[in-house]
Amino acid sequence: MAVPSRCAAERHRFRPSTCLQVCSILSTSGCRTAEAVRMTERFISAVGGYLPMLRLDRAAASKALRFAGLGGRGGGRRAIAGWDEDALTLAVEAARRLGGDRPIDRFAFASTSAPFYERAHAAIALEALGWPATTRSNDVAGSRRCAVSALLDALLGNGEVVVAAGERRPARAGSPQHLAFGDGGAAARVGDAGGARLIGHASLSHDLVDMYASREMPTPYAYEERFVRETAAREVIAPTIRAACAAAGIEPSAVIHAAVHEPLGGMWRDIASLTGMTATNHAGALDAQAGDLGAAHILYAMALAFAASSPGDIVLVAGFGSGCDALVFEITGEVTGAADAVAMLGSGLVTQDYVRFLSLTGEIDLDWGVRSETEQKAQGTVLERHGRDTIGFIGGRDESGNVQFPKSRIPVRPGAAGPEAMTDVRLADCPATLVSVTADRLNYTPDPPFWFGLVQFDNGARLPMELVDADAAGFTVGDALRMRLRIKSIDRRRGFRTYFWKAAPAARPLLEN
Amino acid sequence: MATGIKDRVAIIGMGCTAFGEHWDKGPEDLMVDAFAEAIADAGIERSRIEAAWVGNALDDINVGNSALPLAHALRLETIPVSRVENMCATGTEALRAAAYAVAAGAVDIALALGVEKLKDTGYGGLPLRTKGLANDLWMPYGSAPGTFAQLAGAYTARHGVDPADLKRAMAHVSWKSHQNGARNAKAHLQKPVEMDRILNAPMIADPLGLFDCCGVSDGAACAIVTTPEIARSLGRMNPVTIKAIQLSASNGWEMQYGEWDGASVRNTQVAARRAYAEAGIADPRAELSLTEVHDCFSITELVTMEDLGLSDGGRAIFDILDGRYDSEGALPCQIDGGLKCFGHPVGASGLRMAYEVYTQLQDRAGARQRGKVDLGLTHNLGGSPYNSVAAVSILGRLN
Repeated sequence: MAVPSRCAAERHRFRPSTCLQVCSILSTSGCRTAEAVRMTERFISAVGGYLPMLRLDRAAASKALRFAGLGGRGGGRRAIAGWDEDALTLAVEAARRLGGDRPIDRFAFASTSAPFYERAHAAIALEALGWPATTRSNDVAGSRRCAVSALLDALLGNGEVVVAAGERRPARAGSPQHLAFGDGGAAARVGDAGGARLIGHASLSHDLVDMYASREMPTPYAYEERFVRETAAREVIAPTIRAACAAAGIEPSAVIHAAVHEPLGGMWRDIASLTGMTATNHAGALDAQAGDLGAAHILYAMALAFAASSPGDIVLVAGFGSGCDALVFEITGEVTGAADAVAMLGSGLVTQDYVRFLSLTGEIDLDWGVRSETEQKAQGTVLERHGRDTIGFIGGRDESGNVQFPKSRIPVRPGAAGPEAMTDVRLADCPATLVSVTADRLNYTPDPPFWFGLVQFDNGARLPMELVDADAAGFTVGDALRMRLRIKSIDRRRGFRTYFWKAAPAARPLLEN
Repeated sequence: MATGIKDRVAIIGMGCTAFGEHWDKGPEDLMVDAFAEAIADAGIERSRIEAAWVGNALDDINVGNSALPLAHALRLETIPVSRVENMCATGTEALRAAAYAVAAGAVDIALALGVEKLKDTGYGGLPLRTKGLANDLWMPYGSAPGTFAQLAGAYTARHGVDPADLKRAMAHVSWKSHQNGARNAKAHLQKPVEMDRILNAPMIADPLGLFDCCGVSDGAACAIVTTPEIARSLGRMNPVTIKAIQLSASNGWEMQYGEWDGASVRNTQVAARRAYAEAGIADPRAELSLTEVHDCFSITELVTMEDLGLSDGGRAIFDILDGRYDSEGALPCQIDGGLKCFGHPVGASGLRMAYEVYTQLQDRAGARQRGKVDLGLTHNLGGSPYNSVAAVSILGRLN
């Protein structure tokens, strides 16, 4: 592999260790002809963004923390996951929004806050998405950059690939991260056709510890901000962006829209100055409206950038965390799902309830009394027999055409006399309406009230279900519903959780800006 | 062709503890108290009891599983004793088992006892997971008020009634029961409650407020049954007999098959239809003297009056508001105070209802006696409206 005669290290004052890596990148792009042919064959065809319904008004949190001088200036909002949402469910919801029915070859789940250390979330996600178990899958983690790294791998590889990221990062109450972080998911689909073509890229590994979380320190420990601001921008992000642009054969000033992770709010100004870019960074807008989504942030911001772009535009995407991956795209057409991600950002409900926020993020442990002492243990044998049907929301169609959930050997259809063969029917994407409903204020739930009711699917199936994402008006009989993957139960004693689908309003309220 | 058990089984003795917070008693004490009253009422030697059934629904948190707690508490001498459980219909299920044994000629005299001790654990009517069934992976475990509250919205949608009218009728149901319970020394709650307090109570499960819900309680009730011939031989020339006991349980149709609209309880309708047929009742509105129905929640009682055929569809609201089911109304319901005032020691409630009808049939109800009583109906409803087990029994005089 040839090293370019004009090493970028001199221009960008790279440290020797990083010089080799970036030079390698440049050397790859230095094989311009061969590389350029390969790159133009790979595209992002679809993107998906998903946010939980609630948004915390940061000003309300600042007000609650005013006595302590904490909470910062308190601008904008951050997305808050429901008690029954986690990195997996958020990623799955984002992947569901990709649309399309072409089979995929590979699936990657990306997160720094995935609930399990040993139990692959990608395998659960495949079942939840109804995708074949033969799809190659893996979890990626380790830094906020992991989703962008996985995206780049997909773009440099072959076949149809989906990368889905989800985050629900814990943070200590009163810390800047508690208000800066947001919960959400994002996904991208990569293939040989689509609306965004990769035309250049660069990567840099750099163990810059601006912030870390560990088994011993599950919530982030952040280092000196001025150190991070200077080092991350100057030594990691800007040079990688420059290298990627060089690989794409463009000047940074040619970038029209950007999705670049800012380790600290307001760093885009520094990065732009160092690179000569004047583009709008959609990651900043996402920060302001939903918070920093960690591994999912840049995938989501990329969707926003695509939505704002026109054919011919250059879009820069850069993930940060233990280094940087920068990707340069040329917009060649519409990217499916981009507009939907914009709409998702503009919908939801704002809460000013700081105590509710503390409770939902696990920062206060309310005493819910005897009623919360329910046994939540799930058995591995039962999961093996029924887990795929529950996580995949697979009902059965009997020999007379009736659809039911769960499946049973003798159908529920009146007159069915004996065992019948049932064919799988996935209910997750089937519209439904509400037959009966209540807001239960007696039953234990971490975010009362406990809404549940009888749900009628348009294809004939019906079952009692938990309901989520109620607005102030709640639910009424006849409401149109859509299904969301959620946590069904958390066995706190044994550190296990199960997943099932819950019914949400078909449409969310629009946020007032 | 089966003809049922009408008048083939007589009740010769019943007992019922006071229901309430029995901090000083365990389930064995409650069983002994209920049995002591029943055996004294029957006037027989305990050695004549040939088989017994005990009903308790929540074995893990009170009595304990199997029938051994009953055999131990009453020191039953190696007779066959069985535990039965069918959610809120458990008490009636115990009576059904004992009655069927007698009707079948398997035994001459049998005992049915229902007991539940809920207050020791702080149990508040909340669902218990099953610790390993597939249902745990998907089924919502709402509270009992939550499951029954859903009748209200569906009822409003079906009949197009004003939710405010429904709320007023529900409040009247609770107000009525509190009025009645105030006259019953065995009731857990014995104070009348003002209508405004009922209407403005904190919400438990929309639209059920605090006073729309019965509480949990400790209690036991007991019946001794035999054949009418043996009852006569014991000096009961016109004994109380069982006219019908019918049970209907969901097979999943309501919650898995898309026809039911959630505004009624099919199993109550089916059990009632069968019970009327078994008892030979052609017009329950005219023939029944009183009813004790499963008023776990006010909306349940309201819907039940229609499911039993005692009010026309969509008219129970107005019948209730008109006082038809008050103690002085055309067809009293919950003349003893009902679950609303007794609370709901699940296994005991069905037999507590039978105890009231039995007492009224014998003109022994004191201040709450409803004149001459010919036929009384009891009704239990377990589970949830979309996954229920309903029991309807009818008691009367032999002649």
